[in-house]
Amino acid sequence: MDLDRDKQRRQIEKFIKRMPSLSTTVGKVLEVCSRTDASPNELNKVISLDPVLTGQVLKLINSAYYSLLNKITSLTRAITMLGMNTVKNMALSTAIIKTMSGAKKSKALPTSRFWQHSIGVGVSAKLLAIACDMPISQREEMFIAGLLHDLGKVPFGDEYIEVLDLAKKEQRSLIEVEREMMGIDHQEVGMMIAEKWKLNTVISSCIGDHHDATEVMEESRRQVAFVSLANTYINILDIGYAGDPFPNADDVENLLDIVGLSWQDYGAIGEDVEKEIEKAQIFLQI
Amino acid sequence: MRIKFWGVRGSIPCPGPRTQKYGGNGACLELRFGPENRIVIIDAGTGIRELGTHLMQHDLPQGPIDADIFLSHTHWDHIMGFPYFTPIYVPGTKLRVYGPITFEDDTLEDVVGGQMKYRYFPVNVGELASDIEYLRLREDPRIDLGGGLILLTKLLNHPITALGYRFEYQGKSFCTCYDTEPFRNLFITDPEHPDYDEGMALEGEEVAGEQNQAIESFFSGADLLVHDSQYTAEEYENGKIGWGHTSIEHAIEAANRAGVKKLALFHHDPDRTDEQIDRLAEIYCESGRYGKTEVFFAREGQEIVL
Repeated sequence: MDLDRDKQRRQIEKFIKRMPSLSTTVGKVLEVCSRTDASPNELNKVISLDPVLTGQVLKLINSAYYSLLNKITSLTRAITMLGMNTVKNMALSTAIIKTMSGAKKSKALPTSRFWQHSIGVGVSAKLLAIACDMPISQREEMFIAGLLHDLGKVPFGDEYIEVLDLAKKEQRSLIEVEREMMGIDHQEVGMMIAEKWKLNTVISSCIGDHHDATEVMEESRRQVAFVSLANTYINILDIGYAGDPFPNADDVENLLDIVGLSWQDYGAIGEDVEKEIEKAQIFLQI
Repeated sequence: MRIKFWGVRGSIPCPGPRTQKYGGNGACLELRFGPENRIVIIDAGTGIRELGTHLMQHDLPQGPIDADIFLSHTHWDHIMGFPYFTPIYVPGTKLRVYGPITFEDDTLEDVVGGQMKYRYFPVNVGELASDIEYLRLREDPRIDLGGGLILLTKLLNHPITALGYRFEYQGKSFCTCYDTEPFRNLFITDPEHPDYDEGMALEGEEVAGEQNQAIESFFSGADLLVHDSQYTAEEYENGKIGWGHTSIEHAIEAANRAGVKKLALFHHDPDRTDEQIDRLAEIYCESGRYGKTEVFFAREGQEIVL
């Protein structure tokens, strides 16, 4: 059964138009966090611009993960006691999840399982990058790219349920069924959002090409390959749910070649993935 | 309460003719409590190897070894002796390993046991014959360890989460405060700087002061305090700020303010020779010169009864 393609596309475009922009704060946090010479004053200021984000960062810092007896009630205190790096990481992850959660309304993909998938891909992409000795400064970007790679599924309406059902029934890869039934796929939609949010080339490419990683231009091919491998891994392991339990795994061999990992290395991240997801889950409870 | 130093050195073991007197082994303290001779060990630097040998000779013949090991933090120099602690290979040994971990890190078991993988060491952590339990610690104002032994913990200032320990037993108190450096205001304090913010500058100052005060309260009145003193004030000010270690001068001043009875200067820099320590001792440990606290440089093999 075909869906009304024009109607579907119009709805998606309308949704993206209304979707919240990535706030200036998130953009600035991203910028400050990517600079190694940012001062405590700058970090403090950029987070403070957004009182809600400030509250969430403090909530996270006061969570069970930190060994603190007394509650921390200000960013200045948090930075003095825990240092710049801790607060930077908290702010970044919190800011992104907050923006995404605000946008997620679809019934087709249950929110919590969708997030589990997204976080799973984020941590796996980062772990694969670590296994390849990627510079520390670029690893966090792999987490963010993995976290955001399925952004394009967010705007699909309830009709998407039929697409998911068919992919499952016929055991086919989701993106094939999307193209066939809707004439548009989540990579294309993801790119529309990436443009609206002015995400950088690497992250945009991970969103827009993670099912076509072998064809990506060279400058971001390796990063897209990490996300693609992570995505296949998490789908096969059945962690969370993003509607693609039968991904096309034909490319894995080529992708491993691109990043320079063996099958054994690929499988070896398993134990760490579960632990990292457990830790990252705390962000979902914000 | 009896205390014995099995390792007093910071950063990396440094055996050799120039460190023979004070010792070259990494941090390890043995504490004994009461008539039952209860064993508490603090840190598993390389000093723990000889402690293990000692326990095998003197304690094992009386029955299986049962001990609590408290790790100040999981930096390498504080855990690297663990695989060479012989009791872990003896069936019947019971150990409880306590320590802090940070958000980015694995579990305590993975961090300590992670060094016992075939690539680093011939025995895998899973093959140990003893019964070892790993327990994560947080900052805590009172932990009852049973038998009248009370523990207090305090978050210190080090690049990863490190805890100070205070043991109280039958009216006596013993405290550790390493690895740490004084908290300081990280924010811009120059009003002419374009990014200057008065609020941040003032609060940064206030928080740092308050945390330093909290640490002094933590070891206030201790019968014995073992404190980080890796650097001299001059070394600290010249390139070591932010490395997570204290100057000798600061340790002495803080201990004096807090009414500490005995202060053991500890975690000596690996480059510090016996001769240098003896010279520093002449300056800093002379009775009464720097207040009432009795000050000495901790020495491997030294024993103190409280």
